[in-house]
Amino acid sequence: MTGPTISVRALSKSFYDEFRGEVRAVDGIDFACLPGQIFGLLGANGAGKTTTLRMLATILKPTSGEASLLGHDVVADPEAVRRNLGFYSASTALYPRLTARETLEFFARVNRYPGERVTERVDYLVERFGIAEYADARVDKLSSGMKQKVSIARTVAHDPPVLIFDEPTVGLDVLNALEMQDVIRHLRDDGKTILFSTHIMSEAEKLCDHIAIIHRGKILASNTLDGMRRDTGKHYLEDIFVAYVGGRKEIEAAERAALGAQER
Amino acid sequence: MAGGREVLWTLFRCEIRMLLRDKRTIFIGVILPLFLFPAIILVTRAVEERERVSLESATYYYAVTGTQRDLAGTLVRDALTRRAATADTSQPALHIEESQVAEPDSALRTGGIHLVVEGMAPDEWRTVRDEEERARRERAVTSGRGDDSEAAPAADEADDVEVPVLRLHYRDNSQRSGAAMREVRDALRDLRGEQRERLFRERGFPLDPADVAALEANNLATREEEAGALIGILLAPLIVMMMLTGGSIVAADAIAGEKERGTLETLLTTAARRWEVVWAKQLSVVAVGVVVTLINMLNLLVYVMLGVFELPEDFAVSVTPATLVVLLLLYLPLALLVSSAQLLLSGVSKTYKEYQFNFFPVFLLLLIPAFAAVLPGIELRSAVVLVPVANVAVASREVLTGEFHWLALGAAFFVNVMASAYAARLTVGTLSTERLITAAELDRAELLGGPALFPRRVLTWFGVLWALLLVTSLWFGEHVGIRGQVTFNLGVLFFGGALLMMRRYRLDPRSTLALRAPPAAAWLAVLVGAPSGLVTGVGVARLAQLVFPVPEEVVESFGQYLLPDELPLWQIVFFLCVLPGICEEIAFRGVLLHGLRRRFHPVVLCLVVGAIFGFFHVSLFRLIPTAYVGVLLSAVVVLTGSIFPAMLWHALNNATALVPARLGLWEGEQLPEGVLPLGIAGLAVSFWILWRTRRLYPGLRE
Amino acid sequence: MTRPRLVPRDIAILYVRELRAALRERTMVMNSILLPIVLYPFILWVTITGISFVQGLTQGFVSRVVVTGLPPEHAELRDTLDALESVELRDEPADAVEAVEAVRARELDAVLEFLPADVAGSALSGNFRVRVSFDRSEARSRAARERVEAAIERYRDRWLEWEAGGLGLTPEELEQFRVASRNVASEREMGAMLLGTIIPLFLVVMVALGCFVPAVDATAGERERRTWETTLTLAASRASVVTAKYLHVATLGALAGILNAVAVTVALGPIFRPLMAGGSEAFEFRIPVSAVPIMVLGSALLALFFAAAMMILAAFARTFKEGQSMVTPVYWLAIIPIVLGESPDNRLTAGIALVPVANVAMMIRDAIVGRFAWPLIGLTLLVGLGLVAVCLWSARWVLQFEDLLLGSYDGSFWKFLRDRSPVVGRRSRQALGRPAA
Repeated sequence: MTGPTISVRALSKSFYDEFRGEVRAVDGIDFACLPGQIFGLLGANGAGKTTTLRMLATILKPTSGEASLLGHDVVADPEAVRRNLGFYSASTALYPRLTARETLEFFARVNRYPGERVTERVDYLVERFGIAEYADARVDKLSSGMKQKVSIARTVAHDPPVLIFDEPTVGLDVLNALEMQDVIRHLRDDGKTILFSTHIMSEAEKLCDHIAIIHRGKILASNTLDGMRRDTGKHYLEDIFVAYVGGRKEIEAAERAALGAQER
Repeated sequence: MAGGREVLWTLFRCEIRMLLRDKRTIFIGVILPLFLFPAIILVTRAVEERERVSLESATYYYAVTGTQRDLAGTLVRDALTRRAATADTSQPALHIEESQVAEPDSALRTGGIHLVVEGMAPDEWRTVRDEEERARRERAVTSGRGDDSEAAPAADEADDVEVPVLRLHYRDNSQRSGAAMREVRDALRDLRGEQRERLFRERGFPLDPADVAALEANNLATREEEAGALIGILLAPLIVMMMLTGGSIVAADAIAGEKERGTLETLLTTAARRWEVVWAKQLSVVAVGVVVTLINMLNLLVYVMLGVFELPEDFAVSVTPATLVVLLLLYLPLALLVSSAQLLLSGVSKTYKEYQFNFFPVFLLLLIPAFAAVLPGIELRSAVVLVPVANVAVASREVLTGEFHWLALGAAFFVNVMASAYAARLTVGTLSTERLITAAELDRAELLGGPALFPRRVLTWFGVLWALLLVTSLWFGEHVGIRGQVTFNLGVLFFGGALLMMRRYRLDPRSTLALRAPPAAAWLAVLVGAPSGLVTGVGVARLAQLVFPVPEEVVESFGQYLLPDELPLWQIVFFLCVLPGICEEIAFRGVLLHGLRRRFHPVVLCLVVGAIFGFFHVSLFRLIPTAYVGVLLSAVVVLTGSIFPAMLWHALNNATALVPARLGLWEGEQLPEGVLPLGIAGLAVSFWILWRTRRLYPGLRE
Repeated sequence: MTRPRLVPRDIAILYVRELRAALRERTMVMNSILLPIVLYPFILWVTITGISFVQGLTQGFVSRVVVTGLPPEHAELRDTLDALESVELRDEPADAVEAVEAVRARELDAVLEFLPADVAGSALSGNFRVRVSFDRSEARSRAARERVEAAIERYRDRWLEWEAGGLGLTPEELEQFRVASRNVASEREMGAMLLGTIIPLFLVVMVALGCFVPAVDATAGERERRTWETTLTLAASRASVVTAKYLHVATLGALAGILNAVAVTVALGPIFRPLMAGGSEAFEFRIPVSAVPIMVLGSALLALFFAAAMMILAAFARTFKEGQSMVTPVYWLAIIPIVLGESPDNRLTAGIALVPVANVAMMIRDAIVGRFAWPLIGLTLLVGLGLVAVCLWSARWVLQFEDLLLGSYDGSFWKFLRDRSPVVGRRSRQALGRPAA
């Protein structure tokens, strides 16, 4: 494959707000993820990360602009997009009354993984993510670390070429967060294209092949980490981020303005 | 690649599997009721039986008083002896004894005895009766109930015959006293009948008087048909109720519960299509609803067969396989409709709790039309065929009594299928409505309050206003009279409510109430339009009467209520024309229209505001005419962008309706010939003017 | 521990906080205030309006009747029928068989067939027999039958009067005596009877319903919102926290019950008006002042009981939904008084005073109709308080288990009882106590 796996052009999302009129949560962003890359979307709370990812996952409809995944347009062919996509976020929970194995089977089938190969796939996932011990226990009996593993496994249940992780390490302890980073790296090594969002600089520094800094719904910079270092003359990503955004005050002001509504 | 059917099946299986693992819900929602309800019925019946036995086996006491005491005593004794001798086993005579209390009246009051028999001479009786009659009339006048001359006569025969009277004093707030009175009364009547027959016979009358003009009832309905009519009435409500309670077990969890747990978002990022998700869920709601209904029916049947429940005597049911198939075909779309309504509710609710609170109104909304078959003389071959749920109710009665038309049944089937499909489509819509699926997050409007929040809250506010209006008019309407009620409704509820909403949400009065100058021509349009609107409104009311027949007495009593004679003309003009013109317009065409203006297309907006306006006139038969006027008024505001012409129109409308009637120029609903076409023409002219000079309400939806 | 377990000030502060939070939440206000005031009177109103609407419709129908074979000397009967506004005489179909078929097809409501009198009846010249054909499965047809039969009976009475004159019988001899009845119960007594039947039932149901949502919300709901642990880390003792919650739930329950009783009392007159119009009975709906203390006491007792019972069960649930299904069985207790009979002659007896819930309902009913049997009222209160004490004791016992308190316990209710109850589960506890091999 030669073209970008995910391509986003002039994508916008506005909400109508009677008090302030139109609010542009995402304001005409462009970016492209190349195959086999980990693409990081870096931004403060309320910058528009989640809204962007949800548009790509076809939960939200874009107000204008285009986005496509493996050439499938998110508006014209949302099913095809979702078939090729695994979406993970802190708010995508699991069914408490299914067992881990049933959960994987369910998501493989619902995502149209070839029926005759589902069992095989589930067995593979159980082994791969080390959940064999509790594969037949109900999800509501699992600890949060176990749930996290099942949750990742269900994200890749149908072996999608593209994965989106929306702030995957939010609320995890150090060990689980590191585990998550490992998993993401391994998945990249398996040849998946990964788009993930975070507000944790060190995480982006460690993982990403390409970083886009998003602020107030706009992409301020999109480059490799080294490229950014060259452009700003700073070394640490924190400093780079502040440099692009324009000072600490600006970040605080933006967070205040984004209270609630924009973080969709 | 897996096909759509497999996805559907996977979703469905997952749904059912999760339900089956929720043992607590199944136990409490399905299994417990199976035993609980029969148990309740059994206990109730046992208690009833005990009460009946104690009523039959008790000893009742009576005392005899009055100037004709001896005659009365003899008659009652004779009558009771005769009754005891002739009583059959199905209804044993009560055990009644005479008691020699010193103060019979006070003994009756304290419950010491059950009955006082007073023997009276004819003239004595006449005096007492006239006095009571006068007292009754006075009471009727003071309580404002009018003189209802239809009230039952105090004695059971004509007036001009001079015979003694036996007056039975009893207490109607005691079951026993009432039973004793009825027993003695019937015994006395039987005795009199027997003696009368003997007299006839003694004078040589050739036959038993009862054989004169003998009546012979010929009931054409078979027992099956009678049972069918009864079952036909009960079947639809029963099934709707069972489907609703059964389906709710799944429906609440299906979307609202998933939102709350955060699993909906997971599901929506899978490759399953929205409609596949909805159909799978719908299928599980239907399946569970049907299974629960069947289990309950079977349960009932088992109890009937075990003899735990007895059916009424003469109860015979004959359901041929053909009827059964027809019924199944009828109830299938109903099951679909009920489940899709529940699923829609689940889709609209953000949490499980919210679903619970919204459930009750939906429950009523579906259950009330299910009682349609109770309406006498209603036929499926009428407008009712277009009303979902109600048509199945009427159809099942017709099928069970063997009187039906295939075409009408087909239409009913089709209507329900369409309604169900429409609800399902709306549910698919809720899965794409961003505000509804991203449940967990606060949005800015909620946080800030103010004008941004108002459009979302306006309907709730009007719901509360409606409840208040209903409650106050029901409870206090009688005491405060028309002026008090009008002042409260208009001044406090409508005006006060509008002010409160504007304050609470910091709305700008000028734009909220559309306080703008209208185009000058609008005034002309109003002068032509208001009377025309009223005239066409009478036409609409007459049309509505065809669909929704209303007993005449209701209309009459309402007319009296609205036009009390003691109100002077200026008060009619003030309270019933000017005040409504201002206050109702401020509430409905001001605040309500403003709040809803973005939610609906302008045409729908007018209809919705009109309908809500109609609902605020509480009684069923005024709904359609007032809603009609409400639609016209909304259209006037939308076209002129100003509330003032609507205020004038409203006041003129009421004045045209009330003032000529008050002056005796025009009686009731009778329209002179040719006025209706004139009204239609006038209305057309009026709206043509409004359209030509329109200055549209700002901020409408495109 | 130096702190006393129950601190009135802490309880007061927590109680006010709970109530304020509840009154700010829409669903809670709906449940405890709006529904009791509006919903039940509304349902009552809908039902009764519906009934009178249907009655009105049935009465409003003009009965379509065909008369066949009427002997010419009785033409007067036809005129009588014709004069009735509620009856429309039709000429078609003139044939009796066809007319009966028309009734079957619901095109007619009744057919009157005049036939020659039978052997016994033919002794009187000019006598006849009438066969009224109708369809009992149709309300219209039933009404038609009643109308025509009443007309024929009136005609027969006049005929007999005339015959009696011919036989030399005076009207007085024929009539002999008259029977009249008179209800000596006053309007207020009648109203009290109706109120006494309705109010206690509604009160019990409303108190239970009023406790329902707050009880679930204060326990399972709080756990679901994850505010439970915040509450437990307050400086107040655990007992104070629980007591405050308990009083808060009971307050809302009692409030719902009393508000509903007031609302129903006020609404009953207007609601029943359409049914009473035209009747000779009149009712005055007023609750005697002397009954108010008993009603308040009764509601408080019920509320304390329902609140305790519901909160214990809801404590086992982790989500609002679970809590709801756990509590539902307690809610069903509220129907006991309905099941136990409705006769206005029933009164509080020693037997009923021992039945929980039903005794309070009966006590309130007695108070409304003006009966006060103080020893039995005392017994009722004793039974109620005893029940509350048992509930509170079990609550104390249940709350000593920290895993349950913190919501990490995930067995079922029965398992909990089996494993830990000092009464039911002793054996299994011993088994647990044995050291593992």
